[in-house]
Parts: sequence; structure tokens; C-alpha cells
Amino acid sequence: MGGEALLFLFAAILSALLLFIMVYFIIMFSDLECDYINPIDLCSKLNQFVLPNYIAHTVLTVLFLLTGKWLSFLFNLPLVIYNVKRYMDNKHMYDATEIFRTLSYDKKESFIKLIFFFISFFLCKLIFY
Amino acid sequence: MQSEKKNPSNQYCCSTLNAVPQNNALLQKSKIPFGLVFAPYKNIGPDEPEVPVVSPEVIVRCKICRAYINPFVTFVDQGTRWKCNICHVVNDLPAFYSWDSKTRQAVDRNTIPELNSSVIEFVATQEYTRGPPQPVVIMFVMDVSFQSIQSGMVATAARTILSTLDSIPNYDNRTKIGFITYDSTLHFYNLNSNLNEPQMLVVSDLEDIFIPAPDDLLVNLSESRSVIESFLNKLGNMHKSTQNVNSALPAALTAANKIIGQIGGKIAIFQSNIPNCGKNALKKREDPSLYNTSKESTLLQPADNWYKEFALDCSRKQICIDTFIFSGQYTDIATLSTLPRFTGGSIYFYPGFDASRAEDANKFSSELSRFLSKKIGLEAVLRIRSTRGVSVKACYGNFFLMASDLVQLPNVNPDNCYALEASIDKDLTSEPYICFQGAILHTSNNGERRIRVFTNIIPVTNNLTEVFANADPRAIAAFTAKKAVERTITDKLEDARNLIINTCIDIMGAYKQAFTSSGQASQLLIIENLALLPVLTQALLKNIAFRRGNIPSDIRSFALSVLYGSPIENALSYIYSKLYAIHILDANTGLPIPNTSQVYMPPRINLSMQRMTQDGIYLLDNSQHIIIWLSRGSNPELVNALFQKPYEAIASGKTTLPTPNNDYATRINNIIEFIRKDRLISYNNSPYVYIVKEDDNTRGWFISHMVEDKLDSELSYPQFLSHLREQVILYKLRDFPSIHHKYSNNYQRRY
Repeated sequence: MGGEALLFLFAAILSALLLFIMVYFIIMFSDLECDYINPIDLCSKLNQFVLPNYIAHTVLTVLFLLTGKWLSFLFNLPLVIYNVKRYMDNKHMYDATEIFRTLSYDKKESFIKLIFFFISFFLCKLIFY
Repeated sequence: MQSEKKNPSNQYCCSTLNAVPQNNALLQKSKIPFGLVFAPYKNIGPDEPEVPVVSPEVIVRCKICRAYINPFVTFVDQGTRWKCNICHVVNDLPAFYSWDSKTRQAVDRNTIPELNSSVIEFVATQEYTRGPPQPVVIMFVMDVSFQSIQSGMVATAARTILSTLDSIPNYDNRTKIGFITYDSTLHFYNLNSNLNEPQMLVVSDLEDIFIPAPDDLLVNLSESRSVIESFLNKLGNMHKSTQNVNSALPAALTAANKIIGQIGGKIAIFQSNIPNCGKNALKKREDPSLYNTSKESTLLQPADNWYKEFALDCSRKQICIDTFIFSGQYTDIATLSTLPRFTGGSIYFYPGFDASRAEDANKFSSELSRFLSKKIGLEAVLRIRSTRGVSVKACYGNFFLMASDLVQLPNVNPDNCYALEASIDKDLTSEPYICFQGAILHTSNNGERRIRVFTNIIPVTNNLTEVFANADPRAIAAFTAKKAVERTITDKLEDARNLIINTCIDIMGAYKQAFTSSGQASQLLIIENLALLPVLTQALLKNIAFRRGNIPSDIRSFALSVLYGSPIENALSYIYSKLYAIHILDANTGLPIPNTSQVYMPPRINLSMQRMTQDGIYLLDNSQHIIIWLSRGSNPELVNALFQKPYEAIASGKTTLPTPNNDYATRINNIIEFIRKDRLISYNNSPYVYIVKEDDNTRGWFISHMVEDKLDSELSYPQFLSHLREQVILYKLRDFPSIHHKYSNNYQRRY
């Protein structure tokens, strides 16, 4: 059973990490709204986290699939599909010239992801105990 | 003395709504887009008043919102304090607005420009400057590949630059210029004033660009004048024998950025070829099989993100990029136009340029010369403020948006026009009027930091009829055009078309819903002042930028740029061309109006072949070209008077009219010259005369301007109106998505 425990511990840490990234995103977006940061800096800062974020989440989901944790896998699957779709549409990166147009959507997206990672963090803990 | 305080004229600033609804609910009910189209730094024509320049001891601004004092503020406490019309805070008024200590007299506030003129320029005081003001810096980046040399572009450009050197703004002798030419290698020119002859330095490594002699590539115009002149005299013949068909534009741009990056300035690109060499080269991706499909919009979007990133980097370094494109073949304007789009520049397009044709050479030469000599503002930022409760939702125009109300403009280009979309966030019941104030902090040509401020006020109403009765269809059309261009570039062409038609349907449906009784259910009704809306909407749908049909993507991309950037008057004549009958002239048509630089123009005619006669001669001005239509049966005497040859001997195409030797020809020439001059000043475009004969194969081009007629798959105006009527009847059903969906499909099929 050690392997499973380790997996969930890993999942919890990863979720927490993703959670923090989302908090960071939201803080940066509100900074932009208050004119504390310019769009070019914002986008270059956020964009370096986008792909690691996607990859970490996908790896986690694949791990659940490989170890047969079906429930956790199904829980994570919609987000993976969404991420892949964003990636395929080439809309995953933030664009400094478009950011003010997409800001409300981006904020909403980050907020939903925040809640999602928050839930998954506690789910991991529940299963772990 | 009672002065008249009024809003800036329409060309500076015009709002889609000249009576603002009291709250968002009322705005939503009217369905009219709330936007402001503005060109604060517009070119000033010969008959227009100059913008007053003032330098008060202190520039009076609101202590809370930092708005500038303007004609529409109210004075309180016996005139000792002023109430800001943006945030309603009461501020102290400096004494010099009440008492002149030099003359020891009370000041008449009606004579103070900043309290009376709604467009004003303040000379900025010390606190608005950071470091020395930017000098005028122009870096010419010129393609010298085979096509450029063969078309004569390089020689014409060199000649024009040489003859314009004296008119380039050069205050205090600070102006700097430099040249880079490129084919598959980069050529730099050492123009150090100690040299007798310019030195050419060739760099062939495009991967890691080495800048030789970095201090001598960008030189002071006055100091190095003789070397520059000798260089320009040679440039035309320098690369004469080249067979190189490659063009390393990205590398040349990178080099230009490195050279002027420290100071900022302007990069002028002269490109005759698709940039096909080195890093970030572009491919010929034109694919006619994509026309009229949902994939067409991919051709209108930039192919390579590098161009956008480069433009943003330039914007940050206060560099503006202007692009002149000469190719007859695919050049990927969609990608190249991102360079001026984010740096406040313009794009000039000369399809199939051939300098051996006098018309082509003259057009390019006069536009380039005006481009170099016109007034521009450097290192500018534009801040837009609006009354509390109204906020700026989006901005459209050639610039980079730094914050939701702060626009970065490396150059404020007088040819460009911007638009903002506003939203009403809270109830405006307590406000008699709302106010938009735009302020551009810039360095003027004489090296002075200045702030151009325009203030526009719009009364508030709670009455829906007033909202409709004060809406401006021209502003709505120009605003919708800009929005649709944005939509085309980010989404799909079809979305843009839907946006245009739905704006019109929504407004008419909303009007019908609010004001008509059931007896008029099947009629199409709209308030009188919006009567132009359907025809402008239809003209916009038939504009080459949005029309269905096999239109090369370069042509479409350029049309999109024109609609996006051009000032409102130009945009409107680009949407709905001006057609004049010139075979019957009134007594004074074509004669100069006394005491002005204008001429009496003939009356305009609707754009329909039915309005034209079999024996007419017509002149069409679509803001880019002047087209003369000769009917088969046109009066031989008039034809002979105008062209000095019979109808059969006239060749269609670009023409220079012969020097007039009779009254009729003089008048027509006056009209053409007036249009040209006006265009050159207002939009830096010098249209040539293009002749279309009725029995000619170029007639299709002329006919495509007749937006009220049926054209290919597009409806005629009466058909369009009946389509609108059907849609407006269905408008009420829009709340039921399934029904709406069904009919919107129907709509898509018909267009």
C-alpha cells in the first residue's frame, strides 16, 4: 500500500503547487487591473508557468490512470481535455495585445482552476487518511 | 463677451450617442453601441483653425482624478474654486485665472483658451519631462532585392528623400537619420560627417547580427548633410545589377532596432517582396481554395508571432514602424501589418508598383514626401478619462494598450484615428451630462513636451426617444467597422459580418419594439436621423474588407488596415464612396469658393447604376482612388474637352489628365486637385485618376463600388431592406434561442 500512499502524497503536493500558481495568476491579474504592472511584463511572467502547469496536471492524471484510480482520473479528465483544447487552439499563452479583451475570461478561468485544485488537494488528503 | 463653449468638431471626436441613456438598462434597450471615435492629433486642413497652444504658470488639474481643467467645468464659491466634471471634486483655482498681477486687472475668463476651447495644447512644465526630449529619428530600412530595383522603387525613394531633406522637421539641428538596405545580406552605410563618400558595410551573418561602426550609422542630418546627399544620389544605381531575389526583412529590422533602440524614433520599411530569407521568414501561404470558407480568416491573421513581439519591443523603446509595400505578388500583408498596428504607424500599399509609370511614381513620391515632412508627436502616451459611472471597455486603433485607459503611442500619427467602447456601470440620474477627456503627452516636432487635451461632453437623458433621435449613424458605422476589423483578426470573417449586420438589426428591432404599434408590424421603421444606418451597414458588408468573394488576402488585409486606422471622414468615403456626375455641371461647380481653398463640388449621387445615365461621365472617389467612368454614349465634346482625344482612343487605367485648355476641363481638374490635396493632408494619400470605360473589362471594379446594386452573392439595397424587415420582425423571437438560431442560419446561407 506504500506506493498508493506515496502517489496521493505526491498528488497532494502537486495540487498544492498548482493551487499556488493559480493564486499567483489571480493576484497578477488584479495587479494589471490596478495598473501596477504592464501587460508585457505580466504576460512574460505568467506564460512561463502555463506549460509547466499543464504538464504537471496531465502527468498527475496519467499517473491516476496507470495506477487504476478511476475516480480520481475521471475527476481530472475534464480539465485535461479543456487544457488540450486550449493548447490545440493556440490560446493557452497570454498575449499582451489581447489581454485586456480576454481579461474577464482569464480571471474566471483561473478562479475556477483555483477551486478545482483546492478540491483536489482535499480529496487527496481524504483518500490518504 | 459671451464665448461659445462647444465640443470638438466631428473630425476630432464623435460619439455614436449624442444623448447618453441614464442607466445601463436603457442603453441595453436601445441596443446602440456606445462608442467614441476620436482623432485628437488629426491633420489640420488649410481652412481649419489651429489648436491653441498655451503655457500657463501651472497646468491646472483635478487633485483626485488628475483631469485637466476644461471649458465644461463649473466654478463654485464665487468663482474661486472649480468643480471637476470627471469626478465632481471641488478644487482650488489658481489666482491667475481671476486676477492678472501684471496688468492689475480682473481676468476675463472668456478670453482664456483653456477655459473656452475644447481642444487645447498645454506646453508641459518640468515635471512632465523625463530626460531630454526625443529628437526626430528616422531609420530607413529598404529592400534592394531584384524586384525593388526593377520596379524603380529604390531610385524613386532615394530621389524623393533627397528632395525632402529640407522639409524633415529638424528643430535645433537634432534630427538624425540612417539607412539600412538588405537583400539576402544586410548593408549598412557609414555616413560619418568626416567622410567624403559614404562607406557601405556588408554583413552576411543573419543569425547573430553584428552592427559595424554603431556610432556612424545613425547620423545627424545637418552635420552629415553632404555625405547623406552623396549617398542618396548613388543609392538609385548602387545595386543596379543585382539578381538577388531574397529579402531578409526580420534581420534588417532587428539591426535597426539595435541602432535606434537607445533613443527611439521611426523605422520606415520599404518592402517589395515577401520576407523570404533568414530567421522568421514568411512563406507564400496564400491559398485561393480557402477563400469563402471558414478557414479564410487564417490568411488574415499573422503567420508568425515574432512580428507582433518585435512590434511590442519597439513600442516599449518608443519606436514607430511605418510600412510601404510595393509588391505585385503575395507579400503577406496580414503579418507585416502587425508592425505598424502595435506601434502607432501606418501602412502604405502600392500593388504592382512600376516607377516607369508616371502616376505610380508621383503617388509614391508625394506620399513619401508628405510622410517625411508632416507633423508628428513623439514618445506619446494617451490617457482617457471619463465621468464616474462611465468606463472604457475596449479601445481600437493602431497602438498598444498599456492599461484599460492608457494607450502607448511611440508616435502619435495624425493620419490615425482611434475608437473606444464605453459602458455605463452605474445610474447617471444625478448627472446632467457625462464627459470624456483624452490627454496626449507627447514631444512635439520642436522638441517641446506638450499635452494635447480634448474634452467632449454628452448630455444624459432618461428618454429612449431622445437616445434614438441623437444617435449618429456615421459614427456607428465607423465604430462598427473598427470593431469588425478587430473581430476579423482575432476570430473569423464570418463573425465580423454577423457583428455588422446584427448591430443594424438590433438597433432597428429595438426601435420597433419600443415605439411601434401592432398595426405597423410588417413595416420597417426607424427614426429619421438613423435612416442612413441600413445603407451604411450594407455598404460595410460589401466593402472589400468584409465582402464575400474571391478576394486576395493581401488586398483584404490592406482594406482592413484602412478601415481600422483611417479618420472618420475617410473611413466613411471608403465604406460608401462619393459619386459625382460630371457631365452636367452647375454654374459654379468646380470653381474655387472665394476665401477658402475649397471648390464647389457637384452633388453626390447614390451608389446605384440605376442613378447613372447612358451618356454620363462620372467621378467616383473611394478615398483610395479617383475613378472616372465613361459611358459608351458619353458626349464626345465633353470627352474631347477633358482628354483631348476621342472616346475610342482613350485607354482605361491610370491616367494623367492633359493640361486643361478649356473651361470644362479646368473645372474637372479643380475638383480632382481639390480631392487630392484634401486627401493628402487628411490621410496622406494621393489618389491617382483611373479611367474605366463602360465596355471595358475593368468595369467590374467600378461596379463593385455600387453598393446599392446586386453584386455576385450580395443583395441589392431593396433586397437587403426586405431581408432586414424579416429579421426585425423576428427580432422579438430572439429571446427564444432555438428560433433565433434557425434564422441566423438562414441569414448565413443568404449572405
